[in-house]
Amino acid sequence: MSFRAAWSLTLRKGGLGIRGIHTPGSTAHGKEKMPPYTNYHAQRSYPMPDEPFCMELNAEQRALKEKEKGSWTQLSHAEKVALYRLQFHETFAEMNRRSNEWKTVMGCVFFFCGFTGLLIWWQRVYVFPKKPITLTDEWKAQQLQRTLDMKGNPVQGLASRWDYERKEWKK
Amino acid sequence: MAYPMQLGLQDATSPIMEELLHFHDHTLMIVFLISSLVLYIISLMLTTKLTHTSTMDAQEVETVWTILPAIILIMIALPSLRILYMMDEINNPSLTVKTMGHQWYWSYEYTDYEDLSFDSYMIPTSELKPGELRLLEVDNRVVLPMEMTIRMLISSEDVLHSWAVPSLGLKTDAIPGRLNQTTLMSTRPGLFYGQCSEICGSNHSFMPIVLELVPLKYFEKWSASML
Repeated sequence: MSFRAAWSLTLRKGGLGIRGIHTPGSTAHGKEKMPPYTNYHAQRSYPMPDEPFCMELNAEQRALKEKEKGSWTQLSHAEKVALYRLQFHETFAEMNRRSNEWKTVMGCVFFFCGFTGLLIWWQRVYVFPKKPITLTDEWKAQQLQRTLDMKGNPVQGLASRWDYERKEWKK
Repeated sequence: MAYPMQLGLQDATSPIMEELLHFHDHTLMIVFLISSLVLYIISLMLTTKLTHTSTMDAQEVETVWTILPAIILIMIALPSLRILYMMDEINNPSLTVKTMGHQWYWSYEYTDYEDLSFDSYMIPTSELKPGELRLLEVDNRVVLPMEMTIRMLISSEDVLHSWAVPSLGLKTDAIPGRLNQTTLMSTRPGLFYGQCSEICGSNHSFMPIVLELVPLKYFEKWSASML
């Protein structure tokens, strides 16, 4: 969400000179003020900002605002939508829409993981010293035998899992 | 000693270590409960459709999350203090052994009856016999009688060291110019390994401690042979 906010901020800054592009009709895209961030992009957690989205209204829109002061049952559907667009930048459905950002993020994550993997591979080949003799399978088996012989950790640990009568691991 | 894929603490060899194991289980359970609760709440917060974020007043929940942690802390502190005092109980040791930390080996002195002292160096990897544990074996093990209370006096001849044997629940700093005391009581015979636990220079990782707990008559035979 904040990514879109930052993006829309950078975009808007470019479009400062192009003020109030009004298309005749229901939707108005004019955005005169540079209000605090809350009105820059619609926020789910700040649903009713104090200032309306569109401040400078043309004559038609002012007439609509006058009509709004009367009974709302007189308003047609298109007029209600127009009033909504004057007041708010986006609908809830629009502000909550998903984006494809996750694909970029996951792509970068996998890329860097892969790159790190390559670095580690290179390290294993060219940097790491030889493994000590105690890591060979034979030595590890002898070590295990020694540990079992001295009954190391016989309560709940290693030796407790060895069946000394049958000379095998307990099932 | 530690074994592969070990998850918890080593098996207890002394009654104090048994207490510590149970205390660790108790405290870790509390920690797991709190962590899973927090994880659950975070996942709820990330998947909610609610939008109201400016809460003004929350007296009840504030009271709960002040009182409840205080109770949890008391539930941790009471067993902890109990074990702490248990460690300092009066016991009558039958034997006193002194150990001095050096760079980079331990030396032991059994001077109750005769003068017996020896150094205990780590066996280098190239000189290990097959099946021995790398970085843990020493040339002269500390032979002690099992099932008897032993007083250990620990100090250092040069820099700080720490004499630690995890399966007995022991870790005592070896401080030059100071004599620290701890008591040792093993319920089982066997070999028990530990490593120096205070940074002391380049070979700090290479000065292990190996206790060999044996029945009393073997201990007597050994100490006679060492003199």
